[in-house]
Amino acid sequence: MNLNVSIGSIVFDNPVTVASGTFSAAEKFYGLKGWKRLGAIVPKTITLHAREGNPPPRIWETPAGMINAIGLENAGTKAFITDKLPGLASIGRPLIISVLGYSVEEFQSIVELLAGSPEIVAIELNLSCPNLKQKKLVAQDPQAAQQIVAAVKRISSKPMIAKLSPNVTDITEIAQAVEAAGADAISLVNTFSAMAIDIHKQKPVLGNITGGLSGPAIRPIAVCMVYQTYKKVNIPIIGMGGIMTAGDAIEFILAGATMVAVGTANFIQPQVPLDVLNGIRQYMKDRKIADVKDLIGAAHRA
Amino acid sequence: MSELRNIYKIISNKKVCPRFYHLKIEAPKLVKNVRPGQFIHIRVRDSVEPFFRRPFCVYRAQDSIDILYEVVGKGTALLSAKKKNDQLDILGPLGNTFSMPPEGVQTVVMIAGGIGVAPFLFLTDQLKTRPVHLILLYGGRTKEHIFSLAPFKKNGCKIYTATDDGSVGVRGRVSELFFHVPKDSRGTWIYTCGPKPMMASAQQFAQEHQINGEASCEEVMACGLGACLGCATKTKEGYKTVCYDGPVFDLNELVF
Ligand SMILES: Cc1cc2nc3c(=O)[nH]c(=O)nc-3n(C[C@H](O)[C@H](O)[C@H](O)COP(=O)(O)OP(=O)(O)OC[C@H]3O[C@@H](n4cnc5c(N)ncnc54)[C@H](O)[C@@H]3O)c2cc1C
Ligand SMILES: Cc1cc2nc3c(=O)[nH]c(=O)nc-3n(C[C@H](O)[C@H](O)[C@H](O)COP(=O)(O)O)c2cc1C
Ligand code: FES
Repeated sequence: MNLNVSIGSIVFDNPVTVASGTFSAAEKFYGLKGWKRLGAIVPKTITLHAREGNPPPRIWETPAGMINAIGLENAGTKAFITDKLPGLASIGRPLIISVLGYSVEEFQSIVELLAGSPEIVAIELNLSCPNLKQKKLVAQDPQAAQQIVAAVKRISSKPMIAKLSPNVTDITEIAQAVEAAGADAISLVNTFSAMAIDIHKQKPVLGNITGGLSGPAIRPIAVCMVYQTYKKVNIPIIGMGGIMTAGDAIEFILAGATMVAVGTANFIQPQVPLDVLNGIRQYMKDRKIADVKDLIGAAHRA
Repeated sequence: MSELRNIYKIISNKKVCPRFYHLKIEAPKLVKNVRPGQFIHIRVRDSVEPFFRRPFCVYRAQDSIDILYEVVGKGTALLSAKKKNDQLDILGPLGNTFSMPPEGVQTVVMIAGGIGVAPFLFLTDQLKTRPVHLILLYGGRTKEHIFSLAPFKKNGCKIYTATDDGSVGVRGRVSELFFHVPKDSRGTWIYTCGPKPMMASAQQFAQEHQINGEASCEEVMACGLGACLGCATKTKEGYKTVCYDGPVFDLNELVF
C-alpha cells in the first residue's frame, strides 16, 4: 500500500499531519511513540519577534468546537531555532514551520533565519496577518498575498505552503493568486471569525473580544472550500477543519486534499492523528486501493 | 497518545453535600503515578457535546483515584449522573505538583475557597508524616458547600470554617480567618486554591507578612497538555500555562 504524497520536491511517508497551533509547546510529550509515525509535523506559527499573546480568557467551548484567541504567543524566530527546534527535530519527522510576518520583509527575514536548518522541509506562510495598507488580512487581499509568496520564493528554494483564511467571499480567488505567485501548496482552512458573549456579565467572553472558530462545527464548510479550490488550482492542498476521525480526513482527501491536518481534535483526543492514519490504511485495505493518490479528489470524478 | 489516555471504571459517585460529589475511580496506574497538585482531564461523554474535556485535581490517591467536584454546568452535571461500573476516558496525570514546604517551616496553612479545598486532602496525606502543624482555613460560602472534613481532621489538620451567611463557622469570607495564620515569614508556609479574589487576598496577606507559599490555579482548558496555550494565566514572568507550567505556582509570582 502506498501512502506517499508529495508537495513540491518533498515526499512525505503519509498524508497525515497536525495543524499549526495545536501541537508543540509540550516538550514533555515529544517522546510519545505516536508522533513518530506522522507524515509531517507543523508547530505553532512563529513570528520574527517574541509575542506575549492575548489576555485570558483565550479559549471558549462552543457546540462541537471552540473559539480561540491565543494571539500568536511565541518566543520569536531566533529563540525558536535555539530552544524549540532541537526538541522538535528529535521527534524525527519532517518539519513544516509555520511563519507569520507583519511585512513582506519580516516574512523574508524569518525564512532566511530558518534556511540553515535541514530538518525543516517546507515553510507554511500564515497569511492571516494584518495587511498594513488596507484594513484587512493579507489572506483577504489577492495582491498582498501574492506579494508575500513571490517575495519568499525569490529567496528560498524550500517549498512554500500558503495558509489561507476562510473569512473571504471567494476562497478560490486567493488560492489562484498564490498559485500564480509560485506557492507550492495551499493549506485550507484557518479558523472562522467568531465570538461569544457572557450573558451574565453582558460582555464578550474572550480577552481579545473576537477569536477564531475551529473543530467539527466548521468541517462541512472547510470540506466545501477544499472541494471548490481543488477545481481551480493544480497545486496540492493540505485540508483541515474539524477532523476528528479517519472518515472526516477521507472526506477532505476525496474533496481534493493531498494531505490532511488534525487540529483541534488533538486537544480532545491526542491520539486522533494516529487513529486517522490507521483508519485511512484500513479504508484503503477494505476497498483494495493501492495508492492514496487515487483517492485525492475522487469525489470530483464520481 | 495512548500512553497518556486510559479508560477507567467508576467505583462510586456519591453526593456528599448539596453542592459536592465524591467520585471514586479504579485506576491503579494513576494511583501509582499521580502526585499532590496534579490533575486529570476527563471526557465526560464520548460526543462532541460538550466538546472539551473537564479538568479536576486529585482529591485522594490511595486505593482509588478520588475526585471531589461541584456541579456547576453541563459537564459536571453529566459527570454527576455517572454510575458504578460506568467507564471514564481520562488523560493524566497532568500538570506540576505542590512542592513540599522548605526547611524551617513549622506551620502549613491551607487557604481554600469552596471546591478549591479539593487538592488539599491528597497534600495532607503526604504532609501528615512531617513535623509541621497543619491548618485548614475553609471558606465554604453557604451551608450547601459544607461537607465532612473528617478526613482532614484525621490527617491532623486544625480546621476553621467561614460561610458567607454565617450558617457554619464564622460569618464572612475566608479572609476573616487569616488571624489564625502565624505571622512568621520563615516558619509559616501557605497553600491556597479557590476563586481568584480569594487567592488575591491570600497573596496580599502573604506579602504583608513576607510569607511564602503556593497557589493552585484554574483557567478554562482545552488540551491540558501545554499544546494550545489556551489556559494562560498572568505571572510576573509573563503568561504561563495553567495545565503545563502549573496548576501550582509560587503564590507571590501570580498577577491577579
Ligand atoms: C487544574 C484544575 C483543577 C480543577 N479541579 C477541580 C476539582 O477538583 N473539583 C471541581 O469541582 N472543579 C475543579 N476544577 C474546575 C472544573 O474543571 C470546572 O468546574 C468544570 O470544568 C466545569 O464544567 P461544566 O461543564 O460543569 O461547567 P460549564 O460552566 O458548563 O463549563 C463551560 C466551560 O468552562 C470551563 N470551566 C467552567 N468553570 C471552570 C473552572 N472553574 N475552571 C476551569 N474551567 C472551567 C469548562 O471546563 C468548560 O470548558 C478544576 C479546574 C482546573 C483548571
Ligand atoms: C488554539 C488554536 C491555535 C491555533 N494557532 C494557529 C497558529 O498559530 N497558526 C495557524 O496557522 N493556525 C492556527 N490555528 C488554526 C489551525 O491550525 C487550523 O487551521 C484550524 O483550527 C482548523 O482546523 P481544526 O478545526 O482541525 O482545528 C489554531 C487553532 C487553534 C484551535
Ligand atoms: S489547556 Fe492547552 S495549553 Fe493548557
